[in-house]
Amino acid sequence: MLGPGVAWYLGIAAFLFATGAFGVLIRRNPLIVLLSLEIMLNGANLALIAFSRHAANGAGQIFALGVMAVAAAEVCVGLGLVVAINRRRLALDVDEFSELRG
Amino acid sequence: MIAGAWLCLWAPLAGTVLILLGGTRMPRKVAAWAATTSVFVAFAGAVWSFLELHANADHHSHYSALWTWLAAGKFTVPFEIVVDPLSTFMMLIVSGVGGLIVLYSIGYMDGDDEERRYFAYIAFFVFSMLLLVEGGNMLLLLVGWGLVGLSSYLLIGFWHERPSAVAAAKKAFIMNAFGDATFALALFVLIAHSNSLEFATSFATASHLSQSTVDLVALGLLGGAAAKSAQVPLHTWLPDAMEGPTPVSALIHAATMVTAGVYLIARTHPIFEDAPTIALVAAGLGAITLLMAGMIALVQTDIKRVIAYSTMSQIGYMFMAAGVGAFSNGMFHLMTHAFFKALLFMAAGLVIHAVADEQDIRKLRGVGALMPFTKWAFLIGAAALVGIPAFSGFFSKDPILAADLHDHWYGVVFWACGLVGTFLTGLYTFRLYFIVFPGEPSPFVREHYHSHHGREGSWTMLVPVGVLTVLAAVAGWIQFQPFWEPITHWLSPVIPTEPAAEATNWDDAITSVIAPILGIAGIVVAWLIYGARQRLAVPRIAWLQRLLEHKFYFDEAYDLVFYKPAVATATLWRRDFEEPVVLTTGSDLGEGTLELGNATRRIQNGLLRTYVFFLGAGMAVLAVVFLAVR
Amino acid sequence: MLAITAGGVVVWIVWVAAGFACLASGVAVVSFTNPFFSALALIGNLASLAVLYLLLSAEFVAAAQVLVYAGAVMVMFLFVIAYVGPRREPPWAGGPSWQTLGAVLAAGAIFVEIVVVIGLKAGGRLEKSPDVGSVFGSPGWIGRLFLTDHLLAFEITSIVLLVAAVGGVILGSHTRRAVRGEMG
Repeated sequence: MLGPGVAWYLGIAAFLFATGAFGVLIRRNPLIVLLSLEIMLNGANLALIAFSRHAANGAGQIFALGVMAVAAAEVCVGLGLVVAINRRRLALDVDEFSELRG
Repeated sequence: MIAGAWLCLWAPLAGTVLILLGGTRMPRKVAAWAATTSVFVAFAGAVWSFLELHANADHHSHYSALWTWLAAGKFTVPFEIVVDPLSTFMMLIVSGVGGLIVLYSIGYMDGDDEERRYFAYIAFFVFSMLLLVEGGNMLLLLVGWGLVGLSSYLLIGFWHERPSAVAAAKKAFIMNAFGDATFALALFVLIAHSNSLEFATSFATASHLSQSTVDLVALGLLGGAAAKSAQVPLHTWLPDAMEGPTPVSALIHAATMVTAGVYLIARTHPIFEDAPTIALVAAGLGAITLLMAGMIALVQTDIKRVIAYSTMSQIGYMFMAAGVGAFSNGMFHLMTHAFFKALLFMAAGLVIHAVADEQDIRKLRGVGALMPFTKWAFLIGAAALVGIPAFSGFFSKDPILAADLHDHWYGVVFWACGLVGTFLTGLYTFRLYFIVFPGEPSPFVREHYHSHHGREGSWTMLVPVGVLTVLAAVAGWIQFQPFWEPITHWLSPVIPTEPAAEATNWDDAITSVIAPILGIAGIVVAWLIYGARQRLAVPRIAWLQRLLEHKFYFDEAYDLVFYKPAVATATLWRRDFEEPVVLTTGSDLGEGTLELGNATRRIQNGLLRTYVFFLGAGMAVLAVVFLAVR
Repeated sequence: MLAITAGGVVVWIVWVAAGFACLASGVAVVSFTNPFFSALALIGNLASLAVLYLLLSAEFVAAAQVLVYAGAVMVMFLFVIAYVGPRREPPWAGGPSWQTLGAVLAAGAIFVEIVVVIGLKAGGRLEKSPDVGSVFGSPGWIGRLFLTDHLLAFEITSIVLLVAAVGGVILGSHTRRAVRGEMG
């Protein structure tokens, strides 16, 4: 019922994670950055579920649900920030907010 | 007896502490009298201790320890004092003469800006000297030794606004530090072999050491003694030390500190008896110093420096005595010397104080007409110094020469040196007297002399001078070798005279006849040259004059050998190492750090993506590292 | 719950399709210039992931994924994207010159590392997965776990959500005041 071995699911998860990381590093629009972040989280979720299935342990699925909840919370706050930036008529560009420098 | 000794030791320290705590709130006179009283209390303690010891039939050494001062494994040093004939003898001299001099200082230092500091220092000095003579083991002796060196430095440089005084203080301290170092090295050798610095164990150990080792120990002790007592070759600091106030010169550089070297040799005489070569060196140094100082004193024009060289010369006598083993003779001369030398200094001080602090004898001509009391005091002191029969010096100096005569062939050489020295003593002492005191007062004196309410000085100055005059005149009668010798008998349990130095009656007789004759001859020559009618002219030998005026070029030699190379080395190091390497290292380190910081700063470019990148990259690297490690 | 009895073939086909969709949509999210399309691609990603969860007997999680993630979070995203307005930005724009190459390398390194780690450490053991009963992954089962073994996580998650809600409200209210300040 599983299909290919758990290892393949893990491969997909790794690819998703790496893709999400790539997106976070490369994109300038904060919205796209948040989306890439979501990709990363989903990759992690997939790995959790896969291991949970492999070990027949429910903790992985519980963890994944927790991750989902936290991701929702984080998106809420993140989008709030984007909206606030937009209200200030500032450019929606992560490179613009570079005051935290040496 | 023990209680008296402890009282004697702690009273002056209590005086110092009192003055220190009082600070500027304490009135000056109170500070002065506090110091004086503390020293007189010490004298009372010394007298008490002496009387009890005298009553105690068995006069051996009594030790009393307060606490264990130093404990390092098996090596322990208790804070102990020794009460025995030698230490009580020294205690009496130090506290007695010291008390008189501190009393004299009240008048002399009256009106000085920093009077309290002076009295704190001088009380501290008396404490240090008492610690030195009462110290119950070699280490405490060294502690007292070092502390008197410190007090001497503080007091010579008392008028610290004068660069010459500061330089003199440093010179004294550094030369004494050399002696301290050799002393300490000797102690190290003793510790290495015996693990204890108690007198008895040290002496016992020394007797079992190889000859070269015990010679080394004795040489180290001699080095310390020679530095402290201003013997050749470590003597150049004493004339410069006259920069200090006159009472300081009287107390430290005449009566007590400079005699510490003689005391050391006497106290550690078993070691010197085991090292006869070094003892001979000691005697030889004494003889050389005796002659050299006597000659230099002939050309000095500063009243205090003449007396300083005289001190150096007389201590040469004491070293000669100690070197050949006539310890009690040396100690007796120490006692009488304390009296008449302090008297001479204090009389000179009366003159200096009354004539606007002038010390040049050429300007002080004829001051005796205005200051008769001082003139007579000085005259009696001078007579005692020369060794004129019936005055104290006669009774103490001649037995030394007699002991020398008896002792081997080199003893005769020392005897001859001593006799020449007697002639020189008469000559320079009375040169000084005839120039300064008799005759018409010079214009300078007439102009600058001011009396103290009609008298020559305040009573605090006159009374000690008077007391010492009496002592200088009659104190010698206490021992007339070979007829009655209470001092020798008193000291013999601790410092018995060596058999080789026991003078025979014949030796005593010859010496006691020839020496005074030579002394009087010196006086006569001085009178002929410097007296009122100047019958003889001073012989003008240019090279000799130059040699004596430059004090045999010792200062120049030391300057060349020690000072200039040291300065050159220091300059070399500064120029070629410290400035290019060390200093720039400091600044380079700073600059380098700044550069590094600047470079690192540019990583923080403010872009979020860069930060995230570094996060990710770091994570990737760490993952590899962890994999590799596990 | 979902009893697939037709055998491994169907499972395999489903798996390939879902996997492919997942990977493609993932790449699409980071590649589109228009954020709207990226969000849509993410929704597709979430859906394919839900299918994969079903294959892994995590029915409840799959349902939650569709409801919460695709249903609520992505709606929020689309709302904000619509509110913010159209933007166009080439993916590789700006930044320090080494940024692009560094990003590629970093992402590649992460991917390779994860694969290598899992292969090295657990390769052997991942061959065979045990069979699980039908209860595994069911809502009741998850609920029981939440209320017994993982009660603390459950409670704390609720607090996190509360904090996020408060934060969202605050972020929203401040801007309203600022806007009024700018206007007046």
